[in-house]
Amino acid sequence: MRTKRRTGVFGAILVAFAIVATSCGSGGGATTIKVGSTNFTEQEILGEIYAQALEANGFTVERRFNLGARDIVEPALESGEIDLYAEYAGTVLEYLNNGAGEASGDAAATVDTLRQRFADRGVTVLDYAPAVDANALVVTQETAAKYGLTKISDLASIAGDLVFGGPPECPKRPFCLIGFQDTYGLNFKEFKPLDTGGPITVAALENGEIDVGLLFSSDGAIAAKNFVVLQDDRHLQPADNIVPVVRTAVNSQELDDVVNAVSAKITTSELSQMNKLVNIDKEDASTVAHDWLAANGFISG
Amino acid sequence: MILAQTTEPFIRWNWVWSHLDMIWGRTVQHLALTGIALGVGFLISIVLSMIALRYRRTYAPITWVTGVLYSIPSLALFVMLIPLTGLSVTTAEIGLVSYTLLIFIRNIVAGIDGVPQEVREAALGMGYTRRRMLLEIELPIALPVVIAGIRIATVTTVGLVTITALIGLGGLGQLILDGLNRLFTTPLIVGSVLSVVLALLLDGVLVLVERALTPWARRKATIG
Amino acid sequence: MTFLADVARWFLDPASWQGSGGVPARVLEHLSLSVWPVALAAAIALPLGVTLGHRHRGAFFAISVANVGRALPSFAVLVVGVPVSIKLGLGLSYWPAFAALFLLAIPPMLTNAYTGVREVDPGTVESSRGMGFTEGQVLRKIEIPLALPVIITGIRVSAVQVVATATLAALIGGGGLGRYIIDGLATRDLVQVFAGALLVAVLSVITEGFFSLMERFFVSPGIGRRAEFADISQIPKGF
Repeated sequence: MRTKRRTGVFGAILVAFAIVATSCGSGGGATTIKVGSTNFTEQEILGEIYAQALEANGFTVERRFNLGARDIVEPALESGEIDLYAEYAGTVLEYLNNGAGEASGDAAATVDTLRQRFADRGVTVLDYAPAVDANALVVTQETAAKYGLTKISDLASIAGDLVFGGPPECPKRPFCLIGFQDTYGLNFKEFKPLDTGGPITVAALENGEIDVGLLFSSDGAIAAKNFVVLQDDRHLQPADNIVPVVRTAVNSQELDDVVNAVSAKITTSELSQMNKLVNIDKEDASTVAHDWLAANGFISG
Repeated sequence: MILAQTTEPFIRWNWVWSHLDMIWGRTVQHLALTGIALGVGFLISIVLSMIALRYRRTYAPITWVTGVLYSIPSLALFVMLIPLTGLSVTTAEIGLVSYTLLIFIRNIVAGIDGVPQEVREAALGMGYTRRRMLLEIELPIALPVVIAGIRIATVTTVGLVTITALIGLGGLGQLILDGLNRLFTTPLIVGSVLSVVLALLLDGVLVLVERALTPWARRKATIG
Repeated sequence: MTFLADVARWFLDPASWQGSGGVPARVLEHLSLSVWPVALAAAIALPLGVTLGHRHRGAFFAISVANVGRALPSFAVLVVGVPVSIKLGLGLSYWPAFAALFLLAIPPMLTNAYTGVREVDPGTVESSRGMGFTEGQVLRKIEIPLALPVIITGIRVSAVQVVATATLAALIGGGGLGRYIIDGLATRDLVQVFAGALLVAVLSVITEGFFSLMERFFVSPGIGRRAEFADISQIPKGF
């Protein structure tokens, strides 16, 4: 008898729960955009910039940052786990076309081709920003002085004595190790997988664990540590302008207008400055993004 | 060669105070991920344990499978689940739940097995059905061993949740990851210390729960 | 099923076994990452635990070390090692991982050394004292041999835990079998991830078996207690 009554009460609670759960399920009228990012701070800054700009224009934004490398995040975009994130035009084009060599130094042409490639995948490519962030081959002042290095082709004769460090995906990337080997004939003594242009690569450069490192051209650490960026004299790096990509299914004219207006104002030097504020001065990405948006009139205060 | 960042203090307290909200949010997220894993894991383990106790021959294969799951490095498991369940809480939870199963099952079965045979026989003699005996005799006696298992699983899970930061989740693990990405020791220390504190706190709570649920153990101790 | 076929193909490919990224090289890196922390931890934890157990002191300390040890997330300890190593000018590929694994290795060995010695039958200990044994002799000839199964279990648990967790070193640019998992993650090469996980699991099982064998060799047959083989739920899971 007691057990039967207990089951009855339990069942009633379950039903009540279900009713409450389903009624809380459906959201309001505002469109929710899931803004994502890959796993380095510049991506978080860009994500915050677009997220806050959208929020200021009536969108509800769900932030999904630091999800992993492009190999994780781009498929997440296509499958709808995220709706929008910031890409780099040339590099992502070659990622999509499996290194077919369609990207070039011409930003407009590269982005046009990118639009076609992404269209097949249900993704719309929005306007690209003036800001560029490409792979940069970097050495310390001492190394540059020792071997007389100013450009990447200077490495050709000595690469066999040097240790190169970069992101773990570098050996598989056409604008990373593959490109350095093919375009510049660089066969380094060893490749060390470190992190994505972050403090581990910087530290490895500084303490001599690696001789040449891969950082990103907009990284604040380059100036802060007085590193020497070797000039890309054979123009391996394509036009890696920041370009937001959004799932066509959730795209709208309003969203495009907001995002494009913002992108138009992002310059390389401003991006580098923001990187420095977050990485070196330890400010929050959200605060830095907010200040930039306010300074450029996108949001108040 | 002393490198740069020597000006970076170990902890910037003003950062901590100004980010209390965010730190709290991460802690709650951490607790939620832990709680779901423990809850679901415990339920599944009870079912599997009952099966193992009833059908003795299933115990070895059940322990074998959960043992294999237990030995998979967590990041590898999360990564392999991504194509199936995406970058979601589900992916993290499938992994976290898997790691609790072996601990729970071993302890539940050991606990129930530890019930003295005389007690069982006395109960049978008094007319207890198998079901009543399980619920009213065996489980209470097994409680200390079961709770010992819950304690281990809890502390383990709190630690493993930090790793889910690498797929965009992670609660306090996000603070640790941020500390790594920016070489910023403050969130790194805060995230690490809070993880340990959380684990020890939950462990302490479970010890108190055990004491509350087994008053006869204390009575026996004070009498004897 | 094709996924498993791909994994098999990965293992059958000779390229997977050559060079600095090949399986033998990575296994050696992994072992080198694992052996030294365990050895150093043993050098500290075993004498300490044995001494405390012999003197019947420090119970609270030994238990607390075990509790806090389990509560320390290995990921956190590893990452904390990064700024510390940088400040000290040490390389990143070895020392943060070493520190994390060293801390991880201590609790099981300390607790088991302590408990093993402490739980030796007091009657036996007393009678040996009565026979004129010095404290040192009691320790060396009575307590340690009798406590050996439990002590070796502690070393075994420690070693397996370290081998499994050494996978973490790859997160901060280190080597070892974790490289397959991290590099596979970065290029979404799940076959590589799986291969790495499999290798770690196999290496853990081999480590487990090695110490079980050690126990068989070093524990005198007269001592009844044999620690249970392969109860891996006893092994704290750090990664």
